[in-house]
Amino acid sequence: MRPRPQPRVELLQGTLDLLILRTLLAGATHGHAIAKHIQRTSEELLQVETGSLYPALHRLEAKGWIEASWELSSKGKRAKFYRLTPLGRKQLTSEQSKWDAFSRAMGLILKPGKQEG
Amino acid sequence: MRSFIRKLMWLAQRGHKEAEFREELQFHLDEEAEERREEGLAPEQARWAARRELGNVALLEENIRGVWIWTFWEQVIQDLRYALRMMRKNRVFTVLATLLLALGIGANTAIYSFMDALLIRSLPVSDPRSLAVLNWHLTGKKSVRDSVVQDVSGYFYDDPKTGKTTPIFPCPAFELLRKSSDMFSVLFAYHPAGKMTIMVRGQAEIVSGEYVSGDYFRGLGLAPAAGRLIIGDDDRVGGPAVVVLSYAFAQGRFSDPAAAAGQPVMINNIPFTVIGVAPRGFFGVDPSKAPDFYLPLHADLLLSSRTDPNFKPGEWYLNEHYYWIEMMGRLRTGVTMAQAQAAVGPVFEQWVATTATNDRERNNLPEFLLKEAAGGLDTLRREYSKPFDILLAMVGLILAIACANIANLLLARATARRRELAVRLSLGAGRWRVVRQLLAESLLLASVGGAAGILVAIWGIRFLTLLLAGGNDHFTLHAELNWHVLVAAAVLTMITGMLFGLAPALEATRVDVMPVLKEMTAGKRRPRVGLRFSLSRLLVVSQIAISLLLLVAAGLFVRTLSNLQSLEIGFHRENVLVFKLNARQAGHRDPEIISFYSDLQRRFAALPGVRSATLANSPLIGDGAWGWPVVPLGQPTPEHAPSGHGSGVADTATHVLATGPVFFTTMQIPLLAGREFDERDRQGSLPVAIVNQAWVKTNLEHRNPMGQHIVSYGPGLKPQEMEIIGVAKNARYDDLTGNFPAIVYMPFEQNLNVPVAEMTFFLRTSGDPLAYASMVREIVHQADARIPVTNLSTQAAQIDGEISQEILFARLCTGFAILALAIACVGLYGTMSYMVARRTGEIGIRMALGAQRGTVVWMVLREVLVLAALGLAISVPTALGTSKFVESFLFGIKPNDPTAVAVAVVTLLSAALLAGYFPAWKASRIDPMIALRHE
Repeated sequence: MRPRPQPRVELLQGTLDLLILRTLLAGATHGHAIAKHIQRTSEELLQVETGSLYPALHRLEAKGWIEASWELSSKGKRAKFYRLTPLGRKQLTSEQSKWDAFSRAMGLILKPGKQEG
Repeated sequence: MRSFIRKLMWLAQRGHKEAEFREELQFHLDEEAEERREEGLAPEQARWAARRELGNVALLEENIRGVWIWTFWEQVIQDLRYALRMMRKNRVFTVLATLLLALGIGANTAIYSFMDALLIRSLPVSDPRSLAVLNWHLTGKKSVRDSVVQDVSGYFYDDPKTGKTTPIFPCPAFELLRKSSDMFSVLFAYHPAGKMTIMVRGQAEIVSGEYVSGDYFRGLGLAPAAGRLIIGDDDRVGGPAVVVLSYAFAQGRFSDPAAAAGQPVMINNIPFTVIGVAPRGFFGVDPSKAPDFYLPLHADLLLSSRTDPNFKPGEWYLNEHYYWIEMMGRLRTGVTMAQAQAAVGPVFEQWVATTATNDRERNNLPEFLLKEAAGGLDTLRREYSKPFDILLAMVGLILAIACANIANLLLARATARRRELAVRLSLGAGRWRVVRQLLAESLLLASVGGAAGILVAIWGIRFLTLLLAGGNDHFTLHAELNWHVLVAAAVLTMITGMLFGLAPALEATRVDVMPVLKEMTAGKRRPRVGLRFSLSRLLVVSQIAISLLLLVAAGLFVRTLSNLQSLEIGFHRENVLVFKLNARQAGHRDPEIISFYSDLQRRFAALPGVRSATLANSPLIGDGAWGWPVVPLGQPTPEHAPSGHGSGVADTATHVLATGPVFFTTMQIPLLAGREFDERDRQGSLPVAIVNQAWVKTNLEHRNPMGQHIVSYGPGLKPQEMEIIGVAKNARYDDLTGNFPAIVYMPFEQNLNVPVAEMTFFLRTSGDPLAYASMVREIVHQADARIPVTNLSTQAAQIDGEISQEILFARLCTGFAILALAIACVGLYGTMSYMVARRTGEIGIRMALGAQRGTVVWMVLREVLVLAALGLAISVPTALGTSKFVESFLFGIKPNDPTAVAVAVVTLLSAALLAGYFPAWKASRIDPMIALRHE
């Protein structure tokens, strides 16, 4: 088993969708790459469970926020690529502003001093 | 909506989609493994690590599937598949349960379809909801005898809410309401024309007709199927002799209804022209009748003027005290029933007050009453709704017993499946998931039972229609499986499934997983039986209780049946052929008609095999009676004695029958004194009469009746004096039950102011009376081809026909009670067998310790008796409390007849002991050694 540099942080309920949408903003990619991207970008703090990733992808696809197509991966294998739809882009903006507001609110309460300045 | 379409699309391309996401996951695994390999793991280990990281693949697939489809429905389909497998596995149980359910649901559906036909169906006319039928009623203790009503042609009925109610009005009231009402867009009237002889293309037959006012068809909003319908101008004094045929009649006689228009027909020997045909399926406004033709109201001037020698033209159109015409109105748009009642009621009531001539009449004034008429007149409803209520209650109880029984069987089976259920629960199935699966099994079972029940219902409806019609061609209660009946059957099926499935399902899943799993492997039997067992006992107790109710009902009806069949009727009913002829409708007139009938009587009497033949102006049973005051000379007539022909002649009037010679010989009514009518008693000779015991008792007390002079006050006839020449023993005339009526018999050949029209012939035969039917028809045809022979039957069949509804009802109830008892016994037997099996070990120990076989049998039977006693404790008071609901269907027996209750209790106890004895006997045969090893 791989050594874990840091203790993992549990994903907050409902944030996975936002993370997926944000990841896909960079361009179309497959499930595995999305998981890796979230892990790496969060400096391994966030570990995306496969068990929640794929149902989440399918849920977003069902909602029409992302769409899927079968393409060849960088290693030349057939993989299911997801990309943002215009609807998903809109959703991302609104989710992100909601998240910003939420984290600002959390910050204000948890660290009152820092935020004053 | 979007998600719905998405889910549907998924279902359509499900295989493809599943393959896709399996490939997607595989790709993920490969990527992950490759990454691990790059980190330095061996290929095999890398694959395993990736696999571990992925977790439960099945669960993941399930979750993804959950995004796309209804997991719920998926599971339902799964449950149903499983349930089907279980049903196939337990064939005996499935067949038994299906049979029980099919009988229960089928019987309920059949009875319900009749109630639907009775209560829910509308008249086949345009906008039936805006129709209202006009009635009046007398509230409180007011009596029709004391009211302004002097003569009637029509009926009264007792309504629990409105009291004595009737739809008949005098014609001036119709004219008044028709003019003054702004509530009705059309107000139309009708009056039954009764049976008439109609001759179509040279073929005579007797069918029923209806007189209708000119606005009748317009008011109902009907369009003709051919020609035109009766309009306002047809209905007037001196109007054209026109007739509208019913669709069925026109089709039967002219094959094509369109060909009927314009054709000539003879009605009671008077030429009429068919102007049109009523629309298909239209049966008039009374679902209990289906007139074959419709005549303008004023055509009765044409027809009655020829048949009634005492006719005064049109008198009844002006008479304010003669109640005969029935009315229906179509409410104007926006007018409610209550508004119309409030507006029209006072108009009629003010008018009727002006017709009262004395204080007695003023204190008994009719009150106006408007009723909804969307379903037509409620004659059928009054006749059948109570019997069907009771039948529905009975079949409902039977279904309840069947449910209890199946629930018990399911409980026993659930015990056998404890291990299976425990495994499911321990593997993480939710309790509700398992309950749902068990429920799916019961619902599937119920559905199969319900589907088979529909077949039973189809058969049941045919069978019941046949029984109810009892050979009557004009039976009009047509039940059918329409969509509301089918929906009701489906709902009933689902409720049934829930009823018998839910309790066992809840009970079966109420398990502690561990003990059950352990117990099974260790072979120890220590299940939590307390609650479960009491539930099964509860079910048996309720079955016994319900069966007792049905048995008590059956007892009452069987007694009623035997009372009805052993009725004293006063004459000999076997080997008598009865039929009617109406020579007047074929054009015969006084006095020739009398010799015509006498001649026929002599020819019938001369037939080989006919011992004697006679005739009378009414059948004895089932067709009402003539009645008017007949009192000793010099005695005043009773103050109020309604006269005429009908059923239930008032006590104050005498039943009158005009008979031919040898009437008493033919009917075998013994004469106590004097002689019967013979050749001497013809027109012009001394008017004579024969009275019966009941008449002597009411009118003469202790005087010797022979030679006394009496006076008959026929309606609209001049009083007729007669001498008594004989006294007959009491015999039935009109009703089969109640006190014997007071009867005066007169010789019809003397024509003592009794109109001679329709006559009933009685032929006493040797051997089967019906064997003489063709000879009778031949003789009548030779005498006058225009006269049809009608109502041909045997006297015994006629009497049976009169009490057929009671007989049918008694038989049905008895049959249902036996069915219920059988089902309850099967249930008891099953439960006791199961209990014995469960206690094998205990019984073995008892026997090893020296218990006698008798003791063991008693131990089991005691259990049965306790259950039966509990059931009886509940149901005997219930039976005593509810039996009054069937009171009106009983004859010669009180609803709380102790014998009926006692017989029911004994029958039930014996049946219970019988059902319990076999398991008890089996228990006593248990070999202690085997039983102990079994442990």
